[in-house]
Amino acid sequence: LVSGVRGPPPSPFVLRARRSMDKSGMPWHLRYLGQPEIGDKNRHALVRNCVDIATSDNLTDFLVEMGFRMDHEFVAKGHVFRKGIMKIVVYKIFRILMPGNTESIEPLSLSYLVELNVVAPAGQDVVSDDMRNFAEQLKPLVHLEKIDPKRLM
Amino acid sequence: GQTGKLMYVMHNSEYPLSCFALFENGPCLIADANFDTLMVKLKGFFQNAKANKIESRGTRYQYCDFLVKVGTVTMGPSARGISVEVEYCPCVIANDCWNLLMEFMQSFMGNHTPGIPSVFGTKHDSIYSPADTMVQYMELFNKIRKQQQVPVAGIR
Repeated sequence: LVSGVRGPPPSPFVLRARRSMDKSGMPWHLRYLGQPEIGDKNRHALVRNCVDIATSDNLTDFLVEMGFRMDHEFVAKGHVFRKGIMKIVVYKIFRILMPGNTESIEPLSLSYLVELNVVAPAGQDVVSDDMRNFAEQLKPLVHLEKIDPKRLM
Repeated sequence: GQTGKLMYVMHNSEYPLSCFALFENGPCLIADANFDTLMVKLKGFFQNAKANKIESRGTRYQYCDFLVKVGTVTMGPSARGISVEVEYCPCVIANDCWNLLMEFMQSFMGNHTPGIPSVFGTKHDSIYSPADTMVQYMELFNKIRKQQQVPVAGIR
Protein backbone atom coordinates (compact mmCIF):
# COMPACT_ATOMS: atom_id res chain seq x y z
CA LEU A 1 0.00 0.00 0.00
CA VAL A 2 1.50 3.32 -0.96
CA SER A 3 0.15 6.76 -0.36
CA GLY A 4 1.52 10.11 -1.38
CA VAL A 5 0.86 13.10 0.82
CA ARG A 6 1.08 16.69 -0.25
CA GLY A 7 2.19 19.43 2.09
CA PRO A 8 0.06 22.47 2.95
CA PRO A 9 -0.03 25.09 0.18
CA PRO A 10 1.73 26.93 -1.25
CA SER A 11 4.53 24.41 -1.22
CA PRO A 12 4.04 21.16 -3.10
CA PHE A 13 6.13 19.14 -0.69
CA VAL A 14 5.52 15.48 -1.34
CA LEU A 15 6.16 12.63 1.06
CA ARG A 16 5.49 9.01 0.28
CA ALA A 17 4.28 6.58 2.93
CA ARG A 18 4.38 2.87 2.28
CA ARG A 19 3.48 -0.21 4.25
CA SER A 20 3.58 -3.93 3.70
CA MET A 21 0.23 -5.60 3.26
CA ASP A 22 1.39 -9.16 3.57
CA LYS A 23 3.81 -8.86 6.49
CA SER A 24 2.28 -7.52 9.68
CA GLY A 25 4.41 -5.80 12.28
CA MET A 26 6.90 -4.39 9.80
CA PRO A 27 7.72 -0.68 10.12
CA TRP A 28 6.13 1.76 7.74
CA HIS A 29 8.38 3.43 5.23
CA LEU A 30 8.51 7.16 4.69
CA ARG A 31 10.35 8.60 1.73
CA TYR A 32 11.20 12.05 0.52
CA LEU A 33 12.26 12.45 -3.11
CA GLY A 34 13.79 15.72 -4.21
CA GLN A 35 13.79 17.40 -7.58
CA PRO A 36 15.79 15.74 -10.38
CA GLU A 37 19.41 16.76 -10.21
CA ILE A 38 20.86 19.20 -12.70
CA GLY A 39 23.21 17.82 -15.33
CA ASP A 40 20.76 15.04 -15.70
CA LYS A 41 20.57 15.07 -19.49
CA ASN A 42 23.75 13.05 -19.96
CA ARG A 43 22.89 10.46 -17.39
CA HIS A 44 21.06 7.32 -18.33
CA ALA A 45 18.87 7.30 -15.26
CA LEU A 46 16.84 9.84 -13.33
CA VAL A 47 18.74 10.96 -10.24
CA ARG A 48 17.02 12.46 -7.24
CA ASN A 49 17.93 13.23 -3.67
CA CYS A 50 16.32 10.68 -1.37
CA VAL A 51 15.68 10.35 2.35
CA ASP A 52 14.30 7.05 3.63
CA ILE A 53 12.87 6.71 7.12
CA ALA A 54 11.41 3.68 8.87
CA THR A 55 8.59 4.61 11.21
CA SER A 56 6.01 3.27 13.64
CA ASP A 57 2.55 2.43 12.33
CA ASN A 58 0.88 5.72 13.28
CA LEU A 59 2.57 7.43 10.34
CA THR A 60 -0.60 8.53 8.54
CA ASP A 61 -2.10 10.07 11.69
CA PHE A 62 1.16 11.84 12.28
CA LEU A 63 1.41 13.25 8.77
CA VAL A 64 -2.14 14.58 9.01
CA GLU A 65 -1.23 16.24 12.31
CA MET A 66 1.75 17.85 10.57
CA GLY A 67 -0.59 19.37 8.02
CA PHE A 68 -0.20 16.93 5.16
CA ARG A 69 -3.21 15.78 3.17
CA MET A 70 -3.38 12.57 1.20
CA ASP A 71 -2.90 13.06 -2.49
CA HIS A 72 -3.34 9.55 -3.82
CA GLU A 73 -2.99 5.99 -2.75
CA PHE A 74 -2.64 2.67 -4.51
CA VAL A 75 -1.79 -0.94 -3.89
CA ALA A 76 1.20 -2.53 -5.57
CA LYS A 77 1.41 -6.28 -5.85
CA GLY A 78 4.31 -8.06 -7.45
CA HIS A 79 7.87 -9.20 -7.03
CA VAL A 80 11.13 -7.63 -6.00
CA PHE A 81 14.42 -8.78 -7.50
CA ARG A 82 17.89 -7.72 -6.46
CA LYS A 83 21.18 -7.60 -8.32
CA GLY A 84 23.85 -6.09 -6.11
CA ILE A 85 22.53 -2.68 -5.13
CA MET A 86 20.07 -2.64 -8.02
CA LYS A 87 16.48 -3.32 -7.22
CA ILE A 88 14.04 -4.41 -9.89
CA VAL A 89 10.37 -4.33 -9.01
CA VAL A 90 7.77 -5.96 -11.25
CA TYR A 91 4.32 -5.03 -10.06
CA LYS A 92 0.74 -4.38 -10.93
CA ILE A 93 -0.91 -1.21 -9.72
CA PHE A 94 -4.35 -1.48 -8.18
CA ARG A 95 -6.77 1.35 -7.67
CA ILE A 96 -8.42 1.48 -4.25
CA LEU A 97 -12.16 1.77 -4.74
CA MET A 98 -13.01 3.05 -1.30
CA PRO A 99 -10.44 5.23 0.50
CA GLY A 100 -8.78 3.30 3.27
CA ASN A 101 -10.31 -0.02 2.30
CA THR A 102 -7.63 -2.24 0.83
CA GLU A 103 -9.96 -5.19 0.40
CA SER A 104 -11.78 -3.76 -2.59
CA ILE A 105 -9.25 -2.96 -5.26
CA GLU A 106 -9.15 -3.22 -9.01
CA PRO A 107 -6.16 -3.38 -11.33
CA LEU A 108 -5.34 -0.18 -13.15
CA SER A 109 -4.29 -2.14 -16.20
CA LEU A 110 -3.55 -5.72 -17.16
CA SER A 111 0.17 -5.14 -17.56
CA TYR A 112 2.92 -5.06 -15.01
CA LEU A 113 5.17 -2.10 -14.43
CA VAL A 114 8.89 -2.82 -14.39
CA GLU A 115 10.96 -0.42 -12.37
CA LEU A 116 14.71 -0.43 -11.91
CA ASN A 117 16.06 1.71 -9.12
CA VAL A 118 19.14 2.07 -6.99
CA VAL A 119 19.75 3.89 -3.74
CA ALA A 120 23.38 4.95 -3.67
CA PRO A 121 25.52 7.51 -1.84
CA ALA A 122 25.60 10.98 -3.33
CA GLY A 123 27.85 11.55 -6.31
CA GLN A 124 28.11 7.98 -7.52
CA ASP A 125 26.99 8.76 -11.05
CA VAL A 126 28.63 5.66 -12.47
CA VAL A 127 25.71 3.71 -11.04
CA SER A 128 23.51 4.95 -13.86
CA ASP A 129 25.87 3.28 -16.35
CA ASP A 130 25.45 -0.03 -14.54
CA MET A 131 21.72 0.47 -14.71
CA ARG A 132 21.84 1.12 -18.44
CA ASN A 133 23.96 -1.99 -19.00
CA PHE A 134 21.48 -4.09 -17.07
CA ALA A 135 18.56 -2.56 -18.92
CA GLU A 136 20.19 -3.56 -22.20
CA GLN A 137 20.14 -7.19 -21.08
CA LEU A 138 16.40 -7.09 -20.60
CA LYS A 139 15.74 -6.13 -24.22
CA PRO A 140 13.64 -7.07 -26.16
CA LEU A 141 11.54 -8.46 -23.29
CA VAL A 142 11.30 -5.06 -21.66
CA HIS A 143 12.39 -1.62 -22.83
CA LEU A 144 13.48 0.39 -19.84
CA GLU A 145 13.59 4.12 -20.39
CA LYS A 146 14.68 6.99 -18.26
CA ILE A 147 11.69 8.67 -16.63
CA ASP A 148 11.06 12.29 -17.47
CA PRO A 149 9.03 13.56 -14.51
CA LYS A 150 8.00 16.73 -16.34
CA ARG A 151 6.08 14.65 -18.82
CA LEU A 152 4.11 13.06 -16.00
CA MET A 153 3.09 16.25 -14.20
CA GLY B 1 1.61 25.78 10.70
CA GLN B 2 -1.81 27.34 10.38
CA THR B 3 -3.02 26.67 13.89
CA GLY B 4 0.39 27.12 15.47
CA LYS B 5 0.80 23.57 16.68
CA LEU B 6 3.99 22.60 18.40
CA MET B 7 5.90 19.57 17.27
CA TYR B 8 8.60 18.20 19.49
CA VAL B 9 11.50 16.20 18.14
CA MET B 10 13.23 14.23 20.85
CA HIS B 11 16.06 11.81 21.24
CA ASN B 12 16.72 9.32 24.00
CA SER B 13 20.13 7.77 24.58
CA GLU B 14 18.38 4.59 25.70
CA TYR B 15 17.18 4.21 22.09
CA PRO B 16 20.15 5.57 20.16
CA LEU B 17 18.90 4.60 16.71
CA SER B 18 15.53 6.25 17.08
CA CYS B 19 14.01 9.65 16.82
CA PHE B 20 10.70 10.60 18.46
CA ALA B 21 8.40 13.23 17.02
CA LEU B 22 5.34 14.23 18.96
CA PHE B 23 2.48 16.66 19.13
CA GLU B 24 0.94 17.66 22.44
CA ASN B 25 -2.19 15.50 22.88
CA GLY B 26 -1.37 14.05 19.51
CA PRO B 27 0.38 11.05 18.02
CA CYS B 28 4.00 10.23 18.83
CA LEU B 29 5.91 8.93 15.86
CA ILE B 30 8.87 6.64 16.42
CA ALA B 31 11.25 6.83 13.47
CA ASP B 32 14.82 5.99 12.68
CA ALA B 33 17.65 8.50 12.82
CA ASN B 34 17.03 9.68 9.24
CA PHE B 35 14.05 11.62 10.49
CA ASP B 36 16.43 14.41 11.51
CA THR B 37 17.60 14.64 7.90
CA LEU B 38 14.00 14.95 6.79
CA MET B 39 13.40 17.73 9.29
CA VAL B 40 16.25 19.69 7.72
CA LYS B 41 14.46 19.41 4.37
CA LEU B 42 11.22 20.51 5.98
CA LYS B 43 12.82 23.55 7.57
CA GLY B 44 10.84 25.96 5.42
CA PHE B 45 7.59 24.56 6.77
CA PHE B 46 8.15 25.21 10.38
CA GLN B 47 9.05 28.20 12.44
CA ASN B 48 11.77 26.92 14.68
CA ALA B 49 10.75 27.64 18.27
CA LYS B 50 13.34 30.08 19.43
CA ALA B 51 16.27 28.24 20.96
CA ASN B 52 14.00 26.14 23.11
CA LYS B 53 16.20 23.10 23.12
CA ILE B 54 16.12 21.43 26.48
CA GLU B 55 17.96 18.35 27.66
CA SER B 56 18.50 16.17 30.65
CA ARG B 57 21.89 14.64 31.11
CA GLY B 58 23.06 12.45 33.94
CA THR B 59 23.76 8.98 35.24
CA ARG B 60 21.99 5.73 34.59
CA TYR B 61 21.72 3.33 37.50
CA GLN B 62 20.67 -0.29 37.40
CA TYR B 63 19.29 -1.71 40.64
CA CYS B 64 18.08 -5.29 40.24
CA ASP B 65 15.05 -4.98 37.94
CA PHE B 66 14.91 -1.21 38.21
CA LEU B 67 16.51 1.44 36.08
CA VAL B 68 16.97 4.84 37.66
CA LYS B 69 18.18 7.78 35.63
CA VAL B 70 19.00 11.00 37.41
CA GLY B 71 19.76 14.00 35.26
CA THR B 72 20.31 17.72 35.35
CA VAL B 73 17.87 19.52 33.11
CA THR B 74 19.49 22.32 31.17
CA MET B 75 18.15 24.85 28.73
CA GLY B 76 21.05 26.38 26.89
CA PRO B 77 23.71 27.29 29.41
CA SER B 78 21.45 27.39 32.44
CA ALA B 79 20.47 24.51 34.70
CA ARG B 80 16.75 24.46 35.37
CA GLY B 81 16.10 21.43 37.50
CA ILE B 82 16.60 17.75 38.11
CA SER B 83 14.82 14.86 36.46
CA VAL B 84 14.45 11.37 37.87
CA GLU B 85 13.28 8.55 35.63
CA VAL B 86 12.37 5.22 37.18
CA GLU B 87 11.64 2.15 35.13
CA TYR B 88 10.62 -1.32 36.25
CA CYS B 89 11.96 -3.47 33.42
CA PRO B 90 10.18 -6.84 33.67
CA CYS B 91 6.68 -5.40 33.39
CA VAL B 92 5.10 -3.89 30.28
CA ILE B 93 1.62 -3.17 31.64
CA ALA B 94 1.62 0.04 33.65
CA ASN B 95 -1.29 -0.86 35.85
CA ASP B 96 0.31 -4.09 36.99
CA CYS B 97 3.39 -2.53 38.51
CA TRP B 98 2.45 1.00 39.46
CA ASN B 99 2.17 0.17 43.16
CA LEU B 100 5.56 -1.50 43.16
CA LEU B 101 7.13 1.45 41.37
CA MET B 102 5.59 3.86 43.83
CA GLU B 103 6.88 1.88 46.79
CA PHE B 104 10.35 1.79 45.30
CA MET B 105 10.34 5.51 44.58
CA GLN B 106 9.14 6.36 48.07
CA SER B 107 12.17 4.55 49.48
CA PHE B 108 14.48 7.22 48.10
CA MET B 109 12.22 10.08 47.01
CA GLY B 110 9.93 10.33 50.02
CA ASN B 111 7.52 13.22 49.54
CA HIS B 112 8.69 13.88 46.00
CA THR B 113 7.18 10.65 44.73
CA PRO B 114 4.85 11.59 41.87
CA GLY B 115 1.33 10.39 41.22
CA ILE B 116 0.53 8.06 38.34
CA PRO B 117 1.60 9.70 35.06
CA SER B 118 -1.22 11.12 32.97
CA VAL B 119 0.04 9.28 29.91
CA PHE B 120 -1.66 6.20 31.32
CA GLY B 121 -4.95 8.06 31.61
CA THR B 122 -7.58 5.74 30.27
CA LYS B 123 -5.39 3.02 28.83
CA HIS B 124 -4.20 1.34 32.03
CA ASP B 125 -3.86 -2.06 30.48
CA SER B 126 -2.10 -1.29 27.23
CA ILE B 127 1.49 -2.29 26.60
CA TYR B 128 4.08 0.28 27.51
CA SER B 129 6.08 1.79 24.70
CA PRO B 130 9.12 4.11 24.56
CA ALA B 131 6.74 6.75 23.19
CA ASP B 132 5.07 6.82 26.63
CA THR B 133 8.44 7.74 28.16
CA MET B 134 8.94 10.56 25.66
CA VAL B 135 5.50 12.01 26.32
CA GLN B 136 6.34 12.19 30.01
CA TYR B 137 9.63 13.93 29.28
CA MET B 138 7.84 16.38 27.01
CA GLU B 139 5.40 17.22 29.80
CA LEU B 140 8.21 17.57 32.32
CA PHE B 141 10.27 19.79 30.03
CA ASN B 142 7.27 21.97 29.29
CA LYS B 143 6.63 22.37 33.00
CA ILE B 144 10.25 23.41 33.47
CA ARG B 145 10.08 25.82 30.54
CA LYS B 146 7.09 27.57 32.06
CA GLN B 147 8.81 27.93 35.42
CA GLN B 148 10.02 31.38 36.13
CA GLN B 149 13.74 31.65 36.27
CA VAL B 150 14.87 32.91 39.64
CA PRO B 151 16.23 36.41 39.03
CA VAL B 152 19.69 37.13 40.27
CA ALA B 153 19.88 40.44 42.05
CA GLY B 154 22.86 42.59 41.34
CA ILE B 155 24.09 45.92 42.48
CA ARG B 156 25.78 48.33 40.21
